[in-house]
Parts: sequence; structure tokens; C-alpha cells
Amino acid sequence: METIIQVQNLSKTYKTDKVLDIEALDIPKGQSFGLVGNNGAGKTTFFSLLLDLIKPTTGQIINKGFVVSESEDWKPFTSSFIDESFLIGYLTAEEYFYFIGDLRDTSKAEVDELLAEFEDFFHGEILNQKKYLRDLSKGNQKKAGIVAALIGNPEVVILDEPFANLDPTTQIRLKKIIRELSSQKNVTVLVSSHDLMHVTEVCERIVVLDKGELVKDIYTGEATLKELELYFER
Amino acid sequence: MTTKRFLSLEWKQFRRSSFFEKGLAIKILMLLGALYFASLAILAGTGVFFIFKKAIPDQDPFTLINNYLIYWVLGDLTLRYFMQQLPVMNIKPMLLLPIKRQEVIRFLLLKTSFSFFNILPLLFFIPLAVVLMVKAYNPVMVLIWFAGILSISFSINFLNFILNKNNTVFFVVIALLSSFIGLHYFDVFDITPYTGVFFNSFYKLGYTVLVPVALVFLLFKMNYKLLRTNFYVDGAVQPKKQKFRNYNLEFLNRFGTLATFLKNDVKMITRNARPKQVLLMSFLFLFYGLIFFTGDTYKDMPVFLAFASVFVTGGFLITFGQLVPSWDSEYYKLMMSQNISYKQYLESKWLLMAIGCAVSFVLSTPYIYFGWDIYAMIAAGASFNIGLNSFITLYGGALNRVPIELNQKAKAFSNTQGFNPTQLLISLPKILGPMLIFYVPYKLISFDAGIIALALSGLLGLIFKSYFLKIIESLYQKNKYKTISAFSEKK
Repeated sequence: METIIQVQNLSKTYKTDKVLDIEALDIPKGQSFGLVGNNGAGKTTFFSLLLDLIKPTTGQIINKGFVVSESEDWKPFTSSFIDESFLIGYLTAEEYFYFIGDLRDTSKAEVDELLAEFEDFFHGEILNQKKYLRDLSKGNQKKAGIVAALIGNPEVVILDEPFANLDPTTQIRLKKIIRELSSQKNVTVLVSSHDLMHVTEVCERIVVLDKGELVKDIYTGEATLKELELYFER
Repeated sequence: MTTKRFLSLEWKQFRRSSFFEKGLAIKILMLLGALYFASLAILAGTGVFFIFKKAIPDQDPFTLINNYLIYWVLGDLTLRYFMQQLPVMNIKPMLLLPIKRQEVIRFLLLKTSFSFFNILPLLFFIPLAVVLMVKAYNPVMVLIWFAGILSISFSINFLNFILNKNNTVFFVVIALLSSFIGLHYFDVFDITPYTGVFFNSFYKLGYTVLVPVALVFLLFKMNYKLLRTNFYVDGAVQPKKQKFRNYNLEFLNRFGTLATFLKNDVKMITRNARPKQVLLMSFLFLFYGLIFFTGDTYKDMPVFLAFASVFVTGGFLITFGQLVPSWDSEYYKLMMSQNISYKQYLESKWLLMAIGCAVSFVLSTPYIYFGWDIYAMIAAGASFNIGLNSFITLYGGALNRVPIELNQKAKAFSNTQGFNPTQLLISLPKILGPMLIFYVPYKLISFDAGIIALALSGLLGLIFKSYFLKIIESLYQKNKYKTISAFSEKK
């Protein structure tokens, strides 16, 4: 399988504090990739580096041949939802989706088509609400953000803590969506989570970070959940 | 005991506010600014008596001052409506703690008494009271009068919080204020002697002071009640949700790829408190020219007229433009990870500023009343604004990395946005530029030549538009990470 994301000698240091240090990591195309670790392990830092939101201290990330901190050509096929700062609070969900659609060269009709697929994911709480995104609950905001990240047929989708704040029904639906993305559409999905059960269910491969370092790299099998639980029990 | 704890919390909030985190130079500048306003108030308070005495020698200056106080009341109310908000947001964490609600509310209300808006009138009225005593007015009665004025100032304070969410009342106040001033100016009707009777009676009769004193208590009680019944997370503590409004913005599609951003910016401006405030401010800029065009002082100094002309049409352009890209700070990470070209982004902002300037120019048509010379100058100023000022402002904005809370009104003096040394440096060409461009040909050739030069400078700027945008773009690129991290800092 061809590699889409390559991490080379990547590190991030704030003053004297090394928050991330990954020597090498290759993620093949179409893989569903899970990132777990305790608070401060470097998950969000890694995603921010991947999106070129912060500058690496050393090394680089290559996304489909483009060094992310040097080129912007990875942007058309990469999409993400990290936190609420990816939402535009004063827009309604529809307006937000169309705006993202405009940015990603996706017509209104195509966006509508995509949204129709997510009707049960939205559970009737997102569309036609006559409410601005800032007035939606945290969970519903997250739903809108996740779906917006799927607009425009991205090849790489990055979701930070997508399961947090979601109700059980939506969590189950989201897991289905992520699995389908990677298996049917060959989309590379990167997910981080604190919930070991969810990641093991969804991801083909799980990487554990601890204090910025890669400590485990597991291809998910039957024993994976046990292994992870044992590791975090320490 | 609890009050003491509240005070310590307040102190921490003050000590740790972003104001003190700023550099020394800015602190000094801010301090100078505050001192400037304070000394201005003190100076005005000391001088107002003598000014009236000199202007109208045959009448009692004190009576005249009292007559004019109605304008202070209405003006103060307007200003506070814009700037002052009841600081309810901080009490959310208190709801769960074992503190009596009435104590929290009382503290909250009393705290507002120490706001800038209550101190400024004090700085004006205390020197005035001293002057009055020195001028052999009955000191006891002056003190009573002062107590009356103080009560009115506090009444305005509390009244503002009751009215704060009500737009109608605000527009009524504005309408009253402007019609009083208008009628007074054109000698149709003068309200001041009628209201002056009331203010004068504090001094002459004394006991009428009970009216404003009672008013303060009444308004305090009303505020208290209002807060008490709404003291729940879904009540006053929660920010008000706005009703959804939709407009058809399809007509903007004619701008092609820029339409996406333009439509978004229009929604941003109309749906958030902070940009609405800017919109109103820029409307007020339209009247800036009146100061210069009505007086005779500036008739012989056309350079100042050039300066004023630029501000008449440039209100929106400057106030909005200096906060680009801060307007998008709340979702800047999204913008930076999306497929957006800086050029399109900047161009759409520029277009919006240019449209704002054009609208202001249309609205400034009544200035023809002051002569075609003046109007031609305003037109030239508009050209300068669109062609040059817009790019200078955008350049300055790119250096300004202060996050904006879109739906939060700016507070007076806690708002240091756009207040840093680079910003000041950037504003120099904005102010001196048009004056210089006008002055040189005016001195060398003629008045008309000055106007033409100013207009041409704008056209010239338009020709170099993509070059200017490129410079700003590279600034954006250079500062990308800095800007992202500054914008993601919570205030």
C-alpha cells in the first residue's frame, strides 16, 4: 500500500519543554489510524503540526508528497475538525456547510447530496434549525464540524477527539461512518481519542503517545484492547 | 468577609487582565491616554464656569451650566449604551458556591459604581463645585447640588443596565438628543431653560435633591429585582441568543470567487455585536466634517479640510480595516487549514472596505451645502481612501494580532485593540499622507491642483493594487504561526 503521510524526525519544543518527538511514522493511504495517550501526550500538537498550524522545531511531515510547512498544495485534499475554532459561530449549519463547500469547490447540490447521507447522524438537530452554530449544544456543534470535514471528497480526514461530547447513538453512527470512509472510499482517517474502546473498534492501527514519544504501534486485533488497558493501568 | 473575598477576586482579575500583560511602552501610552482624559475633564470642570461667564456676561454662569446639563444626561446615556455593559458573565462560577445570592448581586451592582463612566463626571463636577464655592456661591447649597448631580450620574448608571437590551429606548434617546440640539441650533426651540429649572432647584431650593436621590434607590432596587429573578444560568447570566435572520445575498455573486468571502463578511457584520458597534461608529465619522466645515477657524487652513475630508468617507474603511484579520480570529485555524488563497481573502476585504467607502461618499452628499469645493475635496478624499488608505490600513491590520470576541461589545479602556506602537506608526501616513499630498500642489499651484493631486493619488494606488496586495500577503505568510497562536489565546 502506498504511503500518504510520512513523518520524519519531527519534534516540537516550547522553550526547553519537548512536547513531541517522533523519529519516523508512515501512514498508508486508506488506513484508519488511531492516536491515543493521556493528557499532554502530544496528540493535538501532532495534528496541529500536520495541519501546519504550528511550526515544527525539527523535521517535517509530508502529506502526499508535499511538505506541509513549505507548500499549501496539501490543503485541497485534506480536511479536519480539531475544536470549536473550526466553526464559524454566526452562521447556521447549512450556511457553514455551503461556505466550506465553496472553499472546496463543491457545489450546493453536491453538498446537499452529502448532507442527505448524514440525515440520521444529524438526528434532526442540525439542519433547518434557524439557529446559529454558536447557539447549538456542544455535541451538535461537533456533529456539524465532523460532517463539514467530509465535504469535498477529502483524501485525508483528521478528527481530534471526535467521540467526546457525543451521545451514545451518535457515537455508534460515527464509528460506522469512519469505518466506511476508510474501507469503501479509501480515505485516510486520523482519529485521536481518550476512549480506548472506541478507537480499537474503529481503527486498523493504533499508536500510543506518551509525553510526546511514540511508545506503541499496534495493528488492531482481538487482544488490542486488553493490551492498551494494561498499558494505561500502570 | 464575603465582600472582602469578592474584592480580592476583582483585584486578581484586574491585575491579571491582558492590560498588564502588555509591554511597558503600551502601558505608558495607555496611562498617558487615561491621564489625558482625566486632565481634560478636570480642566473642563475648572474652566466651564469662566467660559460661560465670558461668553454671556449678563447672565449667571451657574444657571447656564445647569440649563445645559440635560445634554450631559442624554449624551452620557448614549455613550454608556455603547460602551458599558453589566458584567454579569463572571458570576456563573459563583452560582454553585455557598454564597448568598443577594450578596453577589449587591456586590455586582455596587462594583459598577466604580466604572470609568462614573469617575469621569466626578472629575468634571468636583472642580466645578470647588470653583463655585470660591466664587462665593453658598457652599452648603453647592454641596447639595453636587449630591444631586452625583445621584443623577448613578441613576444613569443603573438606568443603562435596565435599558441595555432595549434598542427602541436607545433610539428614542438619540432622537431626543439630536432633535433638541437641532432645534436649539436653528433657534426654533430651546429646551434648556425648562430642564435647567430642575437642575437649578438643587441649589436654589435644596429639597428637590430628594428626587434624584430617590431615583437612584429606585433604580438600584429595580436592577436588583431584575437580577434576582434572573439569577439562573438560563437567565441574565446567559448571553442573549439572537434571533436568526436571513437575507438574500445572491446579488453578491457577481463578484465571482470573492463572493464567498463577501457574503460571509456581510453576515459577520450584521450578526455580531462588535462589528455592529463598528458600523455605528463609522456612521458617526460621517459627521466629523461638521467640526471643520462649520467653523471659521479652518477656512484659511485647507490642509485641515483635506484631513477632515478623508475621515468623512473613511470611517468604515479605517475602523473595519484595522481589525482585519482579527475579525476572523475566532475561526482562524479553520481558515488556515482550508483551501484559501490569501490574495482572494485580502481582495474581498478590500472590496468590502471600498464599498463601505463608496456608501459613505453617497451619504455625504449633504456636504454640498458647504459648497462644491468642500464636496470635491470629500470626493478626492474618498479616492485616496479607496486607492491608498485601504492598503495602508490592511497592512496595519496584519500587524495587529489581537483576538476579537465577535459577539461581545468592546469595553471602554479594557479594549487595547489596535493600540500598539506599530499601529501608531502605521496611522501616521493615514493622517499626514493626505495632508501632504494636498498641501504641496496647493502651495505651489492652486487649491484645485491640491484636490486633483489627492484624487489622482487614489487612482495611482488602484493601479498598483495587486502589488500592494502582494506585500500584505507576504506579511501574512511571514506571520502565520504567530497570528494563529495569538488568536487561539483566550482572553
